[in-house]
Amino acid sequence: MADKETPLLDELEKGPWPSFVKDMKRMGEKNPAARDHLRLLEKSYEDKLVHWKHGGIVGVQGYGGGVIGRYSDMPEEFPHVREFHTFRVNQPSGWFYTTEALRKLCDVWETYGSGMTNFHGSTGDVILLGAPTENLQACFNALSENGFDLGGSGSDLRTPSACVGPARCEYACIDTLDLCHDLTMEFQDEIHRPMWPYKFKIKIAGCPNDCVAAIARSDFSIIGTWKDALKIDQDAVKEYAEAGFDIQGLVVDKCPTKALKYEGGRLELVPEDCTKCMHCINKMPKALRPGDEKGAALLIGGKATILQSAFLSWVIVPWMEMKPPYDELKDLLRRIWEWWDENGKVRERVGELIYRLGMRNFLKAVGLKPVPQMVFRPRANPYIFWWPEEVGKNG
Amino acid sequence: MNEELRQKVLEYLGKVDKAKNKDIAVAIGAKKSEVDKVVNQLAREGVVEFLYIGTSYVKLAGKE
Repeated sequence: MADKETPLLDELEKGPWPSFVKDMKRMGEKNPAARDHLRLLEKSYEDKLVHWKHGGIVGVQGYGGGVIGRYSDMPEEFPHVREFHTFRVNQPSGWFYTTEALRKLCDVWETYGSGMTNFHGSTGDVILLGAPTENLQACFNALSENGFDLGGSGSDLRTPSACVGPARCEYACIDTLDLCHDLTMEFQDEIHRPMWPYKFKIKIAGCPNDCVAAIARSDFSIIGTWKDALKIDQDAVKEYAEAGFDIQGLVVDKCPTKALKYEGGRLELVPEDCTKCMHCINKMPKALRPGDEKGAALLIGGKATILQSAFLSWVIVPWMEMKPPYDELKDLLRRIWEWWDENGKVRERVGELIYRLGMRNFLKAVGLKPVPQMVFRPRANPYIFWWPEEVGKNG
Repeated sequence: MNEELRQKVLEYLGKVDKAKNKDIAVAIGAKKSEVDKVVNQLAREGVVEFLYIGTSYVKLAGKE
């Protein structure tokens, strides 16, 4: 790329950190779309205006999602990014690839697209940035031949995603990778055929640390947890104390539900007060472990601001066994989708619908019972208003 | 598959250019989840096809 063609962007090459400008310039030497993309971005910096038009109906045969239309509003000046559509490619569970698969993916993209990628987008998918309309079908065919499929976009089930789980993490309470793959295969129609009020995201975390932030980033969060008491190795507790670790100050006093006691050199748990927040386990991993009866908590409604403000998910099932073929989970998902689809307005996320019609109606419609885990503090948060006919039923 | 529902869906699609499953369900007075199943089966048989115009529409295959 000619010197001084992008003086504003060139500023972003300075400093010790990686620079997307450097990467795009390198790609621009091979691909004119990457060069035009950089020049268009420079123009946006100058004008303080975005020069992309969102939308337009583009796609590949048989699929309603997975390709996002993008056009430049300055096609004459920047002809190589006149059409610059994005592919979302369904990522493997936990984002594990062989180098051979990555090479194939990049070869396909250099043949049909700009060569620029985003590993990974916030949706979890592989993002292939910038292909002209005439290459879409051929690119999709090549991706398919190499074992890749498109992910979700628009008002459909977005590509499910999961943390690396048991592949690399000792805290994983569920097999996030298998569950993610299983749900992806089960709900192919829902991923590729947008027909709901709006998007629906499923994210899976292996333990309550929730490294993938499922609670904030998905309409349906599946978070691994355990039902029995966490396990305490008293010999290891002693070792922590002897090493000078402040068990009282850093662990016991920080327990949000005061479920731990440290007396006479022993760390004791009141299991019924423990909310499995993981704080103590994270602080003393050699002494504390999740319990043996493992499964997942199911939460609903997380999303960023759209019609309503940002929501964190609410617990709807405190614990469910999470083993193949996951029928109980799949049945629940179908009941939730049916209620949302019947009652939701256009562009209304399931959490917003629950907010509008009430958790009580939602729970009744999907056949779930209100449970204490739905309440932040008993008697301080009237989260559930009981149906009149149920009041006094149990004395 | 519910034969009566299948016939109702096909009759309705015969009267319109294209429709969303939700609109079909309202028009024939059926649950959308049941219409979804019928439409998916009809699509597998090649009797109907999907149109993706922002959202999913369904139409009789080959109908202009």
